[in-house]
Amino acid sequence: MKKADLITGFFLLILSGNVILSAFRMPASRSFAPGAGFFPLWLGILLAVLSVALLLKSTRYVSDPSHASLFPTGKAIFSVSAVVLGLAVYIVLMELIGFLFNTFIFVAYLMKIVERESWKLTLIVAILTTAGLYIVFQVLLGISLPKIQFGF
Amino acid sequence: MDIFHNLIMGFQTASSWENLFFCFVGTLIGTLIGVLPGIGPSAGVAILIPITFGMNSTTAIITMAGIYYGAMYGGSTTSILLNIPGESCSVVTTLDGYQMSKKGRPGPALGMAALSSFIAGSFAILMLTFIAPTLANYALSFGPPEYFALTFLGLTMVTSLGGDSLLKGLISTVIGLLISSVGIDTISGLTRFTFNSMYLLEGIGFIGMAVGLFAIAEVLVNVEEPMQQIFTKTKLNLRSLFPNLQDWKDSLGALWRGSIIGFFIGVLPGAGATIASFMAYAAEKKFSKHPEKFGTGVIEGVAAPEGANNAAAGGAMIPLLTLGIPGSATTAVLMGALLIHGMRPGPMLFSTHTKFVWGLIASMYIGNIMLLIQNMPMVGLWVRLLKIPYKILMPVIITIASVGVLATDNNIFDMWIMFFFGLVGYFMRKMEYPGAPMVLGLVLGPMVETSLRQSLTLSYGSLGIFFTRPISAVLIVCAIISLLFPLFRNLWGQWFLKNR
Repeated sequence: MKKADLITGFFLLILSGNVILSAFRMPASRSFAPGAGFFPLWLGILLAVLSVALLLKSTRYVSDPSHASLFPTGKAIFSVSAVVLGLAVYIVLMELIGFLFNTFIFVAYLMKIVERESWKLTLIVAILTTAGLYIVFQVLLGISLPKIQFGF
Repeated sequence: MDIFHNLIMGFQTASSWENLFFCFVGTLIGTLIGVLPGIGPSAGVAILIPITFGMNSTTAIITMAGIYYGAMYGGSTTSILLNIPGESCSVVTTLDGYQMSKKGRPGPALGMAALSSFIAGSFAILMLTFIAPTLANYALSFGPPEYFALTFLGLTMVTSLGGDSLLKGLISTVIGLLISSVGIDTISGLTRFTFNSMYLLEGIGFIGMAVGLFAIAEVLVNVEEPMQQIFTKTKLNLRSLFPNLQDWKDSLGALWRGSIIGFFIGVLPGAGATIASFMAYAAEKKFSKHPEKFGTGVIEGVAAPEGANNAAAGGAMIPLLTLGIPGSATTAVLMGALLIHGMRPGPMLFSTHTKFVWGLIASMYIGNIMLLIQNMPMVGLWVRLLKIPYKILMPVIITIASVGVLATDNNIFDMWIMFFFGLVGYFMRKMEYPGAPMVLGLVLGPMVETSLRQSLTLSYGSLGIFFTRPISAVLIVCAIISLLFPLFRNLWGQWFLKNR
């Protein structure tokens, strides 16, 4: 937790610095009234104060072996990053290969690679999910989902 | 009476075939979300916003409200049968509910959970019916300073009551408010924090952010820690679900105390259904003649928290509808949905969208009856549904969430927002930052900013305006007290430990 607080604290401090700088650059209101930069400026200052508080707090931690690792290791970290990576690829491919192929491949990937299910279950879930979503969004709600040529 | 006239009109709206059908669908999905561990009501409502786009706004909100209070019913099923709470608001129910089913009385526990949910839920809607219009009428005279004070109070209460760490809650709130300032400033027309991106001109999309923060982050956390589901064979038929006379005698006190506690905690922004259920359980233990029996499977221990969380769900609709102040993550998402459908919650809502408000309130009466039926005779069906492993649900949840976000505007950029906030939400959970204040900040941000700037324009820059007007002064003082409350709690706790 100590390390996590330290990193978040620094990150938030840099963020608040950027917010304050850009809020300063926003033009002031012509009449007497708070301008566009007023609210972000004060939020930026507040965030800077809070991140300093977080940094100070993180230095006061005594090392606590029970909270040694906040983030997963081994198999769990593989699952989480595999899902994150898969989702990113799914978004990238959405307009390239169309909704139907893309969703089928993504669900199959999650079932087979991430969850290590049998091929039979993988295929059933992938087909049913893709078909179900297509029916709900494209047919019932009339939303045109991304497709490539030949109507897929 | 005006209220009765309006309520009858509301029932006319709510009992159209379309509204009845979608009220049923909403409560059904709500129960499903409640029953299934691994997906919560805030994620559920967020995912379903895009699906309600084609509906008229009344039907859409009736459906989503049904998901919200329906989840309160469903959560108890897994608590009682599996010792796994379906939702955080059913955590306390595991204490006595699971013990009851271990002792061979899962039926009365499930039955009492459904019946107390129904009674307390209906009580809260009755209170909503009478209190909400009066409060809305009173709030009509609010000017910008009162609005600022009110939203400020809403934010501070959610921040201070929402999590364990005040500091982390505050950081979450401030970031949410900052995110709300992205895009075109409504007062001056200038662009802020858009990084010259065309997509960011309209601000960070609410749906993408809410779905990422709740649904995607939830999936990532669940993928990491696989759930163990162990089943006890249970035989359930309708007759075995009815609590006997002794059960009723034992639960009656718990029921009305739970309803009242739940309702008042629900009305307060920030506390919500989970805290209500804990408080009701604690209160019941205090009141009981045999507090040592709690935790061994007493029926009061099921009736009190299950009643309280439903009463809280009804109570939470009051500040949401009349003042535009959501008190929890799910109501914040609901408020986002209302805004997307062109309804601005607040005192004006009762006069400008009379038909909508009363239709919604009436639909909650109907929805509660539907939920009682769904949870009493149909409980066996839900138990069977529980056998769907999370492994199958996970891909389904991710794809529904993604496609819903995409369908909102047919814009891939929204999916990236969802992706980004999914990661942010995952890290927030790991480091114990509460997500509710951030969404609340995003939803309330424009109102906080506009009312603050208008007030300061009125007062020529003096902060005194918030203290010279009585209502806003009281609200601001309450907000400051609520921020100091966790500090006092800590100090008092330390003092107590020293002087024990």
